[in-house]
Amino acid sequence: MFNRKTALFLAALLVSATSFAADVKTLLKQADEFRLNLESARVDTEVRVFKGETLDKTRLYSVFIKPERRSLVVFRSAVERGQKMLMLGDDFWLVMPSSARPLRITPMQKLLGDASTGDVATLTWSGDYDGKIVGEEKVGDIVCYKLDIVGQRKGVSYPRIVLYVAKNGSFPVKAELYVASDKLAKMAEFKLGNVDGRKLVTTMTLTDHLQKDRRTEVHYLSRSAKTLSDEYYNPAFLVRAEIDN
Amino acid sequence: MKPLCILALGGLLTLPAQAENGVDLTMTSRLIGEFHQIRPDSPFAAGLARTGFGRDNGRFEEEVRGKLGSVSVLLTGSFSGQEGQNPKTRLVANEAFIDFGSGADRFTIGKKILSGDVGYAFRPIDVVQREARMQLIPKALEGIPNLMWEHYSGQQAWSLIIANPDRNRGPEPNKDGSLTLRYFNRIGVTDLHGVARYSSRYRLEAGAAFSSVPESSLEIHGSFLVQQRGERTVPIRLPANANPILLLARSADDPNIMISESLKNPAKALLGATWTTDNGWSVLAETWWDGTAPKPADWQNLVRQTQIRNAMLGMPGIPAEGVNGALALSTRMFQNPSSTRRGNLLRVSWTDPAGSGWSTALDVLQRPQGGGWIATLSAAWVADKLRIEGGYRRYGGSANSVYRLLPEHQVIFAGISLAF
Repeated sequence: MFNRKTALFLAALLVSATSFAADVKTLLKQADEFRLNLESARVDTEVRVFKGETLDKTRLYSVFIKPERRSLVVFRSAVERGQKMLMLGDDFWLVMPSSARPLRITPMQKLLGDASTGDVATLTWSGDYDGKIVGEEKVGDIVCYKLDIVGQRKGVSYPRIVLYVAKNGSFPVKAELYVASDKLAKMAEFKLGNVDGRKLVTTMTLTDHLQKDRRTEVHYLSRSAKTLSDEYYNPAFLVRAEIDN
Repeated sequence: MKPLCILALGGLLTLPAQAENGVDLTMTSRLIGEFHQIRPDSPFAAGLARTGFGRDNGRFEEEVRGKLGSVSVLLTGSFSGQEGQNPKTRLVANEAFIDFGSGADRFTIGKKILSGDVGYAFRPIDVVQREARMQLIPKALEGIPNLMWEHYSGQQAWSLIIANPDRNRGPEPNKDGSLTLRYFNRIGVTDLHGVARYSSRYRLEAGAAFSSVPESSLEIHGSFLVQQRGERTVPIRLPANANPILLLARSADDPNIMISESLKNPAKALLGATWTTDNGWSVLAETWWDGTAPKPADWQNLVRQTQIRNAMLGMPGIPAEGVNGALALSTRMFQNPSSTRRGNLLRVSWTDPAGSGWSTALDVLQRPQGGGWIATLSAAWVADKLRIEGGYRRYGGSANSVYRLLPEHQVIFAGISLAF
């Protein structure tokens, strides 16, 4: 059937493909470490939306992250006071203060709103995406691996991302974020800073691809170890006041 | 002076958002206006001066939301006015409660909003809060005084609620004393809700609901309730050869014009779906059945009685007061939570996915079997602390349909709110 040369070639291809996939996963894990370096955490975030160079609005969020892709977002700004969003894997719930009942929403509805809460609540790629390295490219002065990654779960905010990870250091530099129709929706740029002696992403700047004068800066104000008990991640618990503390 | 009191409520409570002393409050000032146009050919025209139909109204509200130590509060002070009436000032504690407990068992004491169910236009199992739906710019809900025990286990939860423990029966069903058991379970992409409530008015009510997201753009939901007893407001039933004088009101609140009819084992059901696209469009469709709503025969009875009353206007020996009063009282038929038993809603909305703060929606509520329709076009813009919203609602349908009988023809509404 196959001669020895063909068999060796196929084996080499298989090994190469396996190591290639492993490289992407490793790179994503390394890049994640610059965004969230804790398993369970409270991340306080300030979102600033700019129209041109003018600050249009500011929003504050506290995000409580727990393993198994659990995130609880508490809206802190006066105009959004009382809103909460819960993400459990691919499932999402929203509570509005006017109604005070947990409402199941679709991943698509999660993308709508002032500042997409999906952008605030999700801080890792490695568990949700897989793909391939499609080349190397310079972003500014930084030589990057260009990764084309695809969501492995239906609940991801962006089903496809083209991610640029620094070749030297594996920190995230830039990302092109695509929505379900494979349209480029936003561009993300990551700014690193020194936080408690560690290099971490301190700001993610999102530029809307359709309205280029619109810019959203997501500032990570603090990341601290915090483990909420499992009840907090039950959708029925969302209407309780303990979450507001 | 009274409006100043409302402003003072806001002023006094304008505290830093994260104060050191356990006070964490935010404030919202809201100004709302509604401009109503009466239907010029309304068969109830002679009685409308005694009702709120067709009157422009406005309100200024100061809302304070947050925590005072361990007490969660929602306080509203309002200064409201209606065309032809004196302005009113009102201070309400919409919510004032303490949530406490640890681990799987949690407790609540106080006045808290206890909404439930999965639907948008109709909510069969919202048996505790009984929130009115499809309002223009609704006031903040007023919570229910309650004692509640909640138990959480994995993705399940149940709660036992003693509502309005100080009374047996109140002026409204949500002010009745009641005992309610609520259940929640999440099974994969589906939420299941169950409820059983006992009150002296409705006796046992039991129902279930689901909400499911089978794929990233689609949500489907349904809800069902059976009551041991129901009630609805309908015109008094008189034999065809009864003396028309019996259709006149003898007092401003004559109980013999409209009656509360008791129903045995009525049911309510809803089915709906929402489809959302990544460019911000969303389509919601719902259809429902409310066995507690008036039947077409009840509306026909109202039409017939209204014709007789109008025919008596100006007749010698017939007091105009009695006719006008009866016409005014008979508009209470429109206060039933559902005007007809079947309803369909189509809502098409758009939210700017780029985050400009703009959103808009068109709602069309249609009532089959001669109920007519309500169309509402609305838009809102949210800035940093500011929210501006407004819209237009129009009622229509074939002659003698419910929404053609409604004394109002159209409403323009607008609101502006500022959060601190």
